[in-house]
Formats: sequence, C-alpha cells, structure tokens
Amino acid sequence: MSANETVIEILEEFCPGVDLETTTTLVDDRILGSLTMVALVAELEDSFDIEIPPVEIVATNFNSAAAISALVERLSDEYDD
Amino acid sequence: MFFNLAFFALVLPFSVLAYAVAPRRLRWVVLLGISYYCFYHTSKKLIVFLVATTLSCYLCGLWLASIMDKRDAALAVKGAKRRAVREEYKKHMRHVVALAVIFNLGLLVTCKYLGFLLSVAEPLLSLAGVATPIEAPRIGMPLGISFYTFMALSYVIDVYRGSVKPDRNLGRIALFISFFPQMLEGPIGRYSHTAESLTEGKGITRSNLYQGTLRIFWGIAKKLIVADRLNAFVETVFDGYAEFDGGVIALAAVLYTIQLYCDFSGTIDVAIGIGRIFDVHLPENFRQPFFSRTASEFWQRWHITLGAWFKDYVYYPVSLSAPCKQLTSAARKRFGIHYGPLLASSVALFCVWFGNGLWHGSGSQYIFFGMYYFVLIMLGGLIEPVAISAAERLGIDRDSLPYRLFQTARTLAIVFVGELIFRANGLGAGLEMLSSIAHNFTLGAFSRWDPYHMHLDIHDRNIVIAMLVVVFVIGYLKEHGLDVSAKIDSQSTLVRWVVLIVLILAIVIFGAYGYDYTPVDPMYAQF
Repeated sequence: MSANETVIEILEEFCPGVDLETTTTLVDDRILGSLTMVALVAELEDSFDIEIPPVEIVATNFNSAAAISALVERLSDEYDD
Repeated sequence: MFFNLAFFALVLPFSVLAYAVAPRRLRWVVLLGISYYCFYHTSKKLIVFLVATTLSCYLCGLWLASIMDKRDAALAVKGAKRRAVREEYKKHMRHVVALAVIFNLGLLVTCKYLGFLLSVAEPLLSLAGVATPIEAPRIGMPLGISFYTFMALSYVIDVYRGSVKPDRNLGRIALFISFFPQMLEGPIGRYSHTAESLTEGKGITRSNLYQGTLRIFWGIAKKLIVADRLNAFVETVFDGYAEFDGGVIALAAVLYTIQLYCDFSGTIDVAIGIGRIFDVHLPENFRQPFFSRTASEFWQRWHITLGAWFKDYVYYPVSLSAPCKQLTSAARKRFGIHYGPLLASSVALFCVWFGNGLWHGSGSQYIFFGMYYFVLIMLGGLIEPVAISAAERLGIDRDSLPYRLFQTARTLAIVFVGELIFRANGLGAGLEMLSSIAHNFTLGAFSRWDPYHMHLDIHDRNIVIAMLVVVFVIGYLKEHGLDVSAKIDSQSTLVRWVVLIVLILAIVIFGAYGYDYTPVDPMYAQF
C-alpha cells in the first residue's frame, strides 16, 4: 500500500464524508481542528514510524491528503537508516 | 518613559531621525541603542535581567548549532544508523533547551512570583522549624519581563526544532528581544517573523511613515478617548463594590472589558505603528475578538500572540508527548473520534490555561481566570456534538444570523464574567461581585445616578458611545474584508492628511486627560 493510500485510509476515519481526493482545505475549513489534529498526528506517527515535530503542524502540510502524504514521505526519508 | 508625552514628543521623533540619517548597515544599531536606552530608563539596574536572558539564549543557540554540526557530520558517515544518530543528538539538544527554559523561567519566577512562592511554602517551612514569615527580597520587575522571556525562549526552541537558523550575531538577538515598541505589552513576536526586518535597515518611506503614524494615533485615540475615560468609574466600583448593587457591578464588568480592550489593543496599535515606520512588521494581537461565537474562538482573536505561544510551545509538545499520544490513541478507540481526542487533550489544555492564568500573575484570581476558560472550553467541546444534533432536530440553521447573534451574545457574557474575575481585587472579591449580580441585580442605581460620585457623566457617556460606534464599524468592515486603513492609504494626499488631522483633533478635544482625569499607565504593562 502506498503512503497516499495509507494516509487516505487514516483520514477516512477523521474526516467522514469528505472527498479526500479533491479537498484541499481540511484545515482552512476546520474539518481538521486542533483536537483531531493531535489524534491524526499520533496516528500518522504510529503508522509510518516517524516523528512529526510541532513546527510541521501547519495548514499547508495538512490541508489535503496529498500534502499529508508529502509530509510523511519527507519525514520518512529523513528517518530512513 | 514609554508611550507618554515625552516619548512621543522626544524619543520617537529622535529615533526616526537617527534611523533615517544613519548608514543602512548601522540602522539596526540605532534601534538597539534606543531600545536599551528606553529599557534602562524604566528599569535601571534590572537591565541585568534582560542582558542575562539575551546572553543565555544567544549562547544556547550557538550551543545547539555546534551539536547540529556534529550531528550532520555523524549522519554523513557512510553506513551510519541515521535514526539512532538523530535520537542521540536530539537528547543533547533537549538538555540545552531545558537549560535555557529553566534559567529564564527561573529569572521570571524570581522577579514575579518569589513572594507568592514563599507565601505558599511558608506553612511547610514552618513545620520544618524554619522561622516564618520569610521576607521576600525586593528585586522589582524589569519592564516587559513576561513578554521578552517568552520571545527569547521561542527563539531557542525554534532553533532546536530547526525552524530557525542559530544566529551568530549577538546584537541581532539582543534587538529581537528588546525592540522598544514591543517591550511594554508585546506583541510576543517570533524570531522567524521579525528578526530579518529588524536588521535589514530599509529606509523610512512616506507610505510607512503615514501608515505607522495613523496606526499610532488610532491606538492613542482608543486609549485616551475610551479606556482612560472609563478608568475612574471602573476603579470606583471594583474598589468599593460592597456599596453598589448588582446592576452597577454588571455595568462595571462590561465597561472594564471595553476599557481593557481599548487600552491593550490601543497600546498594541502604537507598537505596531512604530514598527511600521521602521518597516518592521510586528504581528497582530487582536482580530475583532467581540465577534467571536465561542470562548475558544475568542482566544484565537484576543491576545493572539500569547495564545499562539502557548499552542506552539505548550499545547503541541504536551499533546504529542509519548504518554499523551498513548492516551489519545486509547481514548479515541474507546470514546470515538470526538470525545477521545477531547479527553486526551484535557491534559494539554489544562497546562495551557494554568500557564495562561499564571502568566498574568500569581494572584488567585488569575489562576481562577485560567481555570474558568479551561472548564468552559472543555464543556464547549463536550456539548458540541449534542448541540449540533439538537439544532438539526429542531431545524435550527446554525449559520443563520439570529443563531450567530445568540452565540456571540453568549460568548460576550462569558467574557464579561471572566474579565470581572480578572480585574477584581482578589478571588473572594470577584466571587462576591458575581454573587451580587446574581442576587442583587436592580436598575435602581441608574435612575439616581450621581455623575460626580460615579466619575461618569452624560458627556463621558456620549463620547464613549460615539467612539465605540467608530471602533465597531471599523471592526465590522474588517471582519467583512474591508481594511479601512488600507483604503485610506489608497486615497489622495489631501484626504489622507485630513483623516490624520481629524484623528489628532479628536484626541485633543475628546481625550480623557488633564484637570479631571488621572493618567493611566498601559494596563497590560503590569503583567
């Protein structure tokens, strides 16, 4: 399963009923609030075995499934042995 | 020295002149010199605290840089276990950050909370056989210590997180921490946001000079025409609340909230305006807070930079700590996607609101003030799904105007109660005042109003109402996307000068100063 597919599978639980392929305003439209954001970050860290520092928790990194996938891929590369 | 007549008549014009004539590469030195002069003038020998904070954060930044250099060299070695290397160096870096936090919060506690801590510890010390009471040493409080300490720590933490490059120029760090417009009441800036513009040394442009001056006078107008005019009435009621009935106390709570807003946001306008003259864009601290629909939203619009600081440096680190993450995952599986994270976040939210209350001072009313918002925001989160489904069942459109007005009115009531507690002379007095509003609410006092005794006559009332209408209209337009100051800036020179002169005349004619009024220091400077 690709990173994007895993991200979408995770997001389906956090953003039910949202078209994750096309939505690019998950944070701007408050679909992801600060409470769900923390739970989402915890889930992403567990699933991808990465650490998402607070500095990365900004709207541009979480507004869409694609942006989140790019973030986890970038952080995964940094952590790769 | 700060934001008084001498400052506006002498220090500020001299600063602008000196900045304008200085060579570009030395302009930041001019700003630094003026900042340290202003600080020394108000805090005298307590300047050592500012120097200690600046040096400690500068050195910690360099220390972090050296660890990062070693880490990068270790990562470059072929076959290195990248994750293990990162974790090892991260541990060292955490120790440096912890040192900076402990040292600087230690300075803050020494100046601001030592008396309070000793009073709390006294019973224990007494049991241990130590002679009590212990007299706290009278150190005094350096100007703006709560503000500049948070700014300095944000620099070190941002270096640790990698969002800011460690700065090897001590002068630049010193200027970032001490920039004089921010020193009194903030806004609590971030290094990544302001440091570059502080040292760029761009010239003073006509547009920046006009926009900055307009913003300064707008801030002075809010403070002098509204806030200072309400001060005597608010003080009379809060200091002698026992002689007033609930109606007058409720009015005092509302007028204190207005006073605080006009005073604090006015002082921030002055700071942002001065920054603008030097082409330094300081962050906004208010965004029409009285249009908020929830208490949580209110705090995203009121004292924004303090809220953002707590979010970035307390809420997320606590929420994302290993125990909290485990709690979040477990609670989410047990209580679902809304209540699970909410319950888990309660730990981080408690830290934020306890810290927010304590930041304002060690008085019990400040701790209660923080806890008041913690409970309300938690309750808001708990009730939200029920409120949404109830509104759906009752066919209420939650985005309709009446419902939004209801939410705004409810939020205002919450804010007024919170500010009453905040302003009261101690928690006991605050609770008695609330009890008086609940049990002794009459409007009788208004029919036998004694303007002399209440320090608020019909002239004051009309001026306050007229100015508040102007503040409301400008806020309403901004809320709907029209920035009045940008609009004025796009007008002809004649119009722009007329607007500025009218504003200055309004301050001169309607400002609460002189014979009948006592000058009021900027209210948030005491924190």
